[in-house]
Amino acid sequence: MFDNWVDNRTIYVGHKEPPPGAEAYIPQKYPDNRIVSSKYTFWNFIPKNLFEQFRRIANFYFLIIFLVQLIIDTPTSPVTSGLPLFFVIAVTAIKQGYEDWLRHKADNAMNQCPVHFIQHGKLVRKQSRNLRVGDVVMVNDGETFPCDLIFLSSSREDGTCYVTTASLDGESSHKTYYAVQETKGFQTEEEIDNLHATVECEQPQPDLYKFVGRIHVYQERNEPVVRSLGSENLLLRGASLKNTEKIFGVAIYTGMETKMALNYQSKSQKRSVVEKSMNVFLVVYLCILISKALINTILKYVWQSDPFRDEPWFNQKTESERQRNLFLKAFTDFLAFMVLFNYIIPVSMYVTVEMQKFLGSYFLTWDEDMFDEETGEGPLVNTSDLNEELGQVEYIFTDKTGTLTENNMEFIECCIEGNVYVPHVICNGQILPNSGGIDMIDSSPGVSGKEREELFFRALCLCHTVQVKDDVLVDGQKKSPDSSRSCIYISSSPDEVALVEGIQRLGFTYLRLKDNHMEILNRDNDIERYELLDTLSFDSVRRRMSVIVKSASGDIYLFCKGADSAIFPRVSEGKIDQVRSRVERNAVEGLRTLCVAYKKCTQEEYDEIHELLHSAKVALQEREKKLAEAYDQIETNLILLGATAVEDRLRKAYTMKPSESRHQGLGSDRRQDGNSNYLIQAFRRKPLWLTTKKIEEQSLMTSFELLKTSLRVLSKDEDLAFIFYVSCRLSNDLQDFGLIIDGAALSLIMKPRQTGSSGNYRELFLEICRNCSAVLCCRMAPLQKAQIVKLIKLSKEHPITLAIGDGANDVSMILEAHVGIGIIGKEGRQAARNSDYAIPKFKHLKKMILVHGHFYYIRISELVQYFFYKNVCFIFPQFLYQFFCGFSQQPLYDTAYLTLYNISFTSLPILMYSLMEQHVTSDMLKRDPSLYRDIAKNALLRWRVFLYWTFLGVFDALVFFFGAYLMLENTTVTINGQVFGNWTFGTLVFTVLVFTVTLKLALDTHYWTWINHFVIWGSLIFYIIFSLLWGGIIWPFLSYQRMYFVFIQMLSSGPAWLGIILLIIVSLLPDILKKVLCRQLWPTATERTQVKITFLLYNYWFYCCKIRV
Amino acid sequence: MAINYNAKDEVDGGHGSNLVVGSHTGPGNAIGGSGPKSRRPDNTAFKQQRLPAWQPILTAGTVLPAFFIVGLIFIPIGIGVFVTSNNIREFEIDYTGTDEKDPCNKCLFWNDTKPCICEINFTLEQPFEGYVFMYYGLSNFYQNHRRYVKSRDDSQLNGDTDSLKNPSKECEPYRKDGDKPIAPCGAIANSMFNDTLELFQMNESSLIRVPLHKKGIAWWTDKNVKFRNPPGGNLSEVFKGTTKPLNWPKPVYELDEDPENNGFINEDFIVWMRTAALPTFRKLYRLIEKKGVLHPTLPVGQYLLRITYNYPVHTFDGRKRMILSTISWMGGKNPFLGIAYITVGSICFLLGVVLLVIHHKYGNRNNSADIPN
Repeated sequence: MFDNWVDNRTIYVGHKEPPPGAEAYIPQKYPDNRIVSSKYTFWNFIPKNLFEQFRRIANFYFLIIFLVQLIIDTPTSPVTSGLPLFFVIAVTAIKQGYEDWLRHKADNAMNQCPVHFIQHGKLVRKQSRNLRVGDVVMVNDGETFPCDLIFLSSSREDGTCYVTTASLDGESSHKTYYAVQETKGFQTEEEIDNLHATVECEQPQPDLYKFVGRIHVYQERNEPVVRSLGSENLLLRGASLKNTEKIFGVAIYTGMETKMALNYQSKSQKRSVVEKSMNVFLVVYLCILISKALINTILKYVWQSDPFRDEPWFNQKTESERQRNLFLKAFTDFLAFMVLFNYIIPVSMYVTVEMQKFLGSYFLTWDEDMFDEETGEGPLVNTSDLNEELGQVEYIFTDKTGTLTENNMEFIECCIEGNVYVPHVICNGQILPNSGGIDMIDSSPGVSGKEREELFFRALCLCHTVQVKDDVLVDGQKKSPDSSRSCIYISSSPDEVALVEGIQRLGFTYLRLKDNHMEILNRDNDIERYELLDTLSFDSVRRRMSVIVKSASGDIYLFCKGADSAIFPRVSEGKIDQVRSRVERNAVEGLRTLCVAYKKCTQEEYDEIHELLHSAKVALQEREKKLAEAYDQIETNLILLGATAVEDRLRKAYTMKPSESRHQGLGSDRRQDGNSNYLIQAFRRKPLWLTTKKIEEQSLMTSFELLKTSLRVLSKDEDLAFIFYVSCRLSNDLQDFGLIIDGAALSLIMKPRQTGSSGNYRELFLEICRNCSAVLCCRMAPLQKAQIVKLIKLSKEHPITLAIGDGANDVSMILEAHVGIGIIGKEGRQAARNSDYAIPKFKHLKKMILVHGHFYYIRISELVQYFFYKNVCFIFPQFLYQFFCGFSQQPLYDTAYLTLYNISFTSLPILMYSLMEQHVTSDMLKRDPSLYRDIAKNALLRWRVFLYWTFLGVFDALVFFFGAYLMLENTTVTINGQVFGNWTFGTLVFTVLVFTVTLKLALDTHYWTWINHFVIWGSLIFYIIFSLLWGGIIWPFLSYQRMYFVFIQMLSSGPAWLGIILLIIVSLLPDILKKVLCRQLWPTATERTQVKITFLLYNYWFYCCKIRV
Repeated sequence: MAINYNAKDEVDGGHGSNLVVGSHTGPGNAIGGSGPKSRRPDNTAFKQQRLPAWQPILTAGTVLPAFFIVGLIFIPIGIGVFVTSNNIREFEIDYTGTDEKDPCNKCLFWNDTKPCICEINFTLEQPFEGYVFMYYGLSNFYQNHRRYVKSRDDSQLNGDTDSLKNPSKECEPYRKDGDKPIAPCGAIANSMFNDTLELFQMNESSLIRVPLHKKGIAWWTDKNVKFRNPPGGNLSEVFKGTTKPLNWPKPVYELDEDPENNGFINEDFIVWMRTAALPTFRKLYRLIEKKGVLHPTLPVGQYLLRITYNYPVHTFDGRKRMILSTISWMGGKNPFLGIAYITVGSICFLLGVVLLVIHHKYGNRNNSADIPN
């Protein structure tokens, strides 16, 4: 049982051994602080890269074919398959090598970035990668923490520091972290060096908000002091220090063990559904190929069992051939057949697909509609492998803050005892009740009204935790001319900033907090000073906060602001009903509302309060509980002042989405943006977010049962139904359900259980999610987002998921989903960089999915099917020919035709088709999202469709071969009686083949630009010119001249022309018939749309005619 | 496990410092509002995927006329081709001699040094007019076997002196006889058809030889470009140092007396060298020129075919035939093309009718379904 892995790790701060007598710890090895994201090193690049590349089934296959051609005598030369293979491999290797080099560079920059740490009482700089667990590190203001640190002390007296974790969880607010009481005094390098302590903590785990540990501080002679450590003591790598000069901390998790690194999942190679079906088809064709070769080999030996067939007098073998072992012969014959038929899986398909994806992705970046004027950014394509996956999306997962909303809070209005004030209509500090659209409940504010009003503004000015950033620190350019009013507010809550700013516009400006006095500038430009006595800080359970201030005149006020549900029960006075109706109205409109109340205290009352608070604050056990009780006691008997409304702007064009997802009829998750706006508004009302602190596991199960039944039962109830932590509502008009769940509840559900009932909750949750048209999950850790994506992804139907987000906290979700989209937004570029596609604005998603995704999908699916089709047409006649040439592997076509068929005769039309095709105009696709359903679930690459194409190919091949057979068999078709040989036969088949295959594509093309015309007719003309040239000259470098004048001779024969035309028409006939009949009898939505467009055109035409008449 | 996040991001994220900053600035003071204009995509029709395009749709309405037109064109062509093919006279006679009663049966196991000659009588019941072409046909002869097809040296046949002395490896095992290179090398040349066919018209008592022309049976380009004798005057001098193919009685420069038809440019040889596509094939042997407008080339009557029987086919179950055929603008007799044209034409016409019915029956339904949308 001696395992290296121990539950705990023990760290000696500053590598100082604990005094003797302390417990002995098992020494552990920790990684250094190096971050490695690169894949290769200089030495292993070539073997590893080649290995990776040849793991691709296609590459491996072509390698085998190439080797076979090298080793044995085959009908075709090894160059025909070796050259393209080499090209493909080399290009890919260069591309991947370059990318890895960039990663190396980024890693190095990261690992070599300097870090300050303390050694023997001195500040030493060293590279980040050399940091070890136990090092004491110093971090300055604005710097990023180089690893996970236990906060020891800061330059602030109170041992706190402010940290923003924007790049970790997207929370851009400032969080306060605390140093342990015993260590916070060590504020200089020398002092910290004297600190003698050990830290015990758990092994690294990815949960950002969980940390368990304790610190032993050894003081001279005294017993060591033990303090518990929690997440408020842990500074995470990736977070950065704000508003604090410097801090000291001890490294506990380094390098790949930091919570940040653990939160970034390994980036698995994402593969699209199309690629998956392509690989399946490939395997099918491989089976076809092998069975073809096998059948031919067996038949060959059956046929050859007569000696006069194996070796007639006119066709003798060489001596070495005769002596070869039978099995060896049979095996080489098998391989030779494989080589002969290998073109059925053409190397060019992979090249074409890659090219199509690469070039096609440019259309996305070029799209003008997706260009954002404000930022000057267009969409970015980080991987083009997933283009077509955009056309297959069934579930959309989106991040709210910054993605759906702009994360720009704006103060909209305030309501003081029923009077509504809108700051927008106020000029020059004059407050006027807005005349239009206001509920003038009390239209004549009297003197007391005026007082109340000012009190309200003062309350808002004072009741907050906003900090003012000094003007001096801000670069001078940003200063507005009116410098006295230009302050920059910083707060953990954007709402507070919005409120303070809004009040500023209403005449009261919060200036600063100086010496525990808050200074505000009132309407008369006088400075009022209030002494800040106590702050009853905000938490999500109380959902309110209070301040207790003492005015210059000695009055003591308690100002409280919070959610309506948190305030109203505590209010004893005030115009509650008017305010409540206003608040509800605002909430329905999706504004974030807060209520404000106050209480005036006497000095005696305050002393009582102070005593109460103090006793709670110093308590060691159950401190939080006691504080909460104290707050609860204090915040009573309030007088309601009014309410505020703040708007978090929705991104533009967002509201257009719901209708379309309803059309899609898709389930949704994490606010798959389907569903009514109401839900989004409901979501924006923070009060709906409930926590699960006190939920037992049994009740979870029952509440799920409850939820399930309530989902069924609730049919007309339009109120939100809260089931502990899960709320569900049903909008009145639509049969849509929504589910709101928060991160803590989710982790309960997702937690794996030891008991037999494991996974039950997950399934239940999944089922509930699938029955809801929108699910909101709030307060999620990054990994939880990924978990929920994974949950949906791995559910029964394996739906295609898309995740969109803008922050670093969305990265793991973006990586997990089938398609990850980053928004080039305010919260850094992490999401954009880790995503598959990045767009400047959320609204661009619509065009990206509905238009580009749709186009990409139909283009690539046609590309794949067509490629298989044209190669069945190409190779199947060769297979048939074996039956007529004694199974001797005689190729039907000339080598030049074999090589060039896929490379030049038929490659460009399909490539151009797959870049240009628009079966329906993009406007139509945008307008009618139901068309998206036509391609859902990989509709164009289903087995039925695949079999249709394959059988069409086989049919065409039969027509080509037996058509030519019947035409040329035992007769002459020339006017001078001369006969044709086997190469003419092959050329005839090949000519029909090239024309049919190209015209088939022409039939499928719905969008004929000049490029399509040029390429389709051009490649036919090219084929003719090439054939004329190829047969027109005795090529000196060739060892054979078998094609000499074959093509021209063939064209000089009338029946050949007649035959070519006949065979082309016969081959195309079934496809035309199928198209017309399906369109007529079972039209899809897409086809109806196409017809509609033509009808419109007809109508327009008739209209024109009428006018002319 | 590969951890993939860009280490650089961390740095950026740190400095990106997404504070909630409310800067009270005057309206219109847009910070960072002017992005680099250069990144803006070009507004070209191509880049915006708005190239003008023709957007055809295959509907019953548009395809209907096409079906009728194809039907109306194909049926007459088919009839024309069919009639032409039917007017072609063709006469075929199998002279393999596997049957006991066959005159050529005796030649199957011929042991004499003199060539075996057999004669077959036959009657033409219809006159052959215009040019008449005499073919020999072989069955079950795999001229398209891979080992056989490649067993030739085109440079040697094109008169290349190096290849003459040192033929290509592809010719194995017919490359060298002892030390001497074989000219022409390879299995194809070695197995050249060497029966001699002569045709006589039988009068009451006498035999009148029908004149057979041996020029113009090979492709002009083959005879004049692809096949060439090695440079030099006298053919026997030129081919000195080479030896004849094993199965040949005479060397290549003794194929014919006419120097224009001797050596590699012997037309019988060239015709043979064009390997047939299928195991049953015919090759042009001789031409019979027309006599004039009034007299048929081969009038009705009794004929005699005299065969110098050299070519063994019975060992591999082969058959040998002699074919006489007239030629039209579309070559020899071939009923397939005519029948195929008539069939396809009729099918198209029928489909047109069917589609017309469907179009009228179901067409309205679809349109009405469109309207409420």
